[in-house]
Amino acid sequence: MENKSLPITVLLLFSLIAISCDMIEVHPYDTKVTGEKNLNAKNIMRIEGMLKGRESFKFAVISDTQRWYDETEDAVRAINARNDVDFLIHAGDQADFGLTDEFIWMKNILGRLDIPFVSIIGNHDCLGTGKDVFREIYGETNFGFTVGDMRFICMNTNALEYDYSEPVPDFDFMHRELELLPDTICRSVFLMHAAPGSDVFNNNVKKVFEYYTTLFPGLQFYIYGHTHALTVDEIVSDGVRYHCYQCPNIKKRTYLLFTVDENGYEYEAVEF
Amino acid sequence: MRLWSFRYIFMMLCICPFFAIAQVEPADTAIRKTGLKRSERRYEARIHRYRNSVPSYSKIQMYGDMGLISAGVGWNYGKRDQWETDIFLGLIPKYNSENAKATMTLKQNFMPWNIPFRGNFSFEPLSCGLYLNTVLDNNFWTHEPSRYPHGYYGFSTRIRIHIFLGERITYEIPHEKRFFAKAITLYYEISSCDLYIISAFTNRYLKPRDYLKLSFGLKFQIL
Repeated sequence: MENKSLPITVLLLFSLIAISCDMIEVHPYDTKVTGEKNLNAKNIMRIEGMLKGRESFKFAVISDTQRWYDETEDAVRAINARNDVDFLIHAGDQADFGLTDEFIWMKNILGRLDIPFVSIIGNHDCLGTGKDVFREIYGETNFGFTVGDMRFICMNTNALEYDYSEPVPDFDFMHRELELLPDTICRSVFLMHAAPGSDVFNNNVKKVFEYYTTLFPGLQFYIYGHTHALTVDEIVSDGVRYHCYQCPNIKKRTYLLFTVDENGYEYEAVEF
Repeated sequence: MRLWSFRYIFMMLCICPFFAIAQVEPADTAIRKTGLKRSERRYEARIHRYRNSVPSYSKIQMYGDMGLISAGVGWNYGKRDQWETDIFLGLIPKYNSENAKATMTLKQNFMPWNIPFRGNFSFEPLSCGLYLNTVLDNNFWTHEPSRYPHGYYGFSTRIRIHIFLGERITYEIPHEKRFFAKAITLYYEISSCDLYIISAFTNRYLKPRDYLKLSFGLKFQIL
């Protein structure tokens, strides 16, 4: 009896090893990324290809989904169910603690979207080795893309997390964007996680940043997240009038929906 | 909150095995030799304490959120050696980050039962306990750096607390074949850390295979 139960135990042990390969982890912050990488560039190619030559389109915005996996799943289901949205923007904070698995879980949930999605880095995404994992999965933290005559400029504004190790916000990037902007661009929008004036923004350059954005052709609006509240503001600065939309966190079960056509755009907060 | 800093817990746990050793000491016949002077007895006791402070085994553990591989030493104590305290140094390879990182782990084990088999084998159907892991890297902090508003994130990126359950098989090496160890133990553990547990608590999406992690180890009993 005793002699028999030992091999059984050993066998059990090894079958356990076999079935649980994804239970093997080096460290919560190990930056070991599985699955698809460089998602922003791939999804931008899909968006730009799909919407080429179209002047009217719809996009949804979600933000601050950290540690609300169930709610994020529901948002993905709700957006998939409506069939009329062309792409989605995640305005940052996919992870709460910057753990590698948090990014992978969130990526797996967002990967179930029928539409391409673009991710912007949030302050929580920077914790521990989070910056490295975000970069590995999504790519550069400052980037732009074009739909119709609208330029989407996505920026890392989490200055507090970088402590002068990198320029945040990166004015060189903005300068290059402005220099290389094709003539066909008539409208610009800025997407970021933390708004100018918020606690993680470098508020020494708040006014400079805002001024620089007004130099872009036809500045329409900013979209950001971070404080977990839905806010809409109208700003008139240097003779340019634009809006600021703050997307609430996913716990509020709300996403923003923007409908753009050649005459302008409409904004809507949709509860799910 | 400050009182429960890692250093404090680390020191307390380090002292733990020495207390346990100190308690069992008077029962030891070696010091109770009659005819010794008080000063000699004290000297003997002191020698004994030094001997007990030498680690009684070494361990190698893989995974378990404490590094790809960790090597450590530790002490057995308790009536049936059912308690163990280990200290590990581990390594996290670079992967997608800027540099490889070292980790340090302080681990407390408890094995309530030991079932002997024939042929020098024994089986411990349960080992359980907790461990504290710290990443020795400047990008991680115990307390938030001063640039943050006070209590902004409210957790430490550097220190993780893990709990685990596992099982062990021990082979006691026959006297004539002993080369560097008295016994070899093979073990596995299933663990989870504070941040995974918090995440699992509020989400149906996370399944046990997401937040439970597996690790394997070998223990070489030397003393």
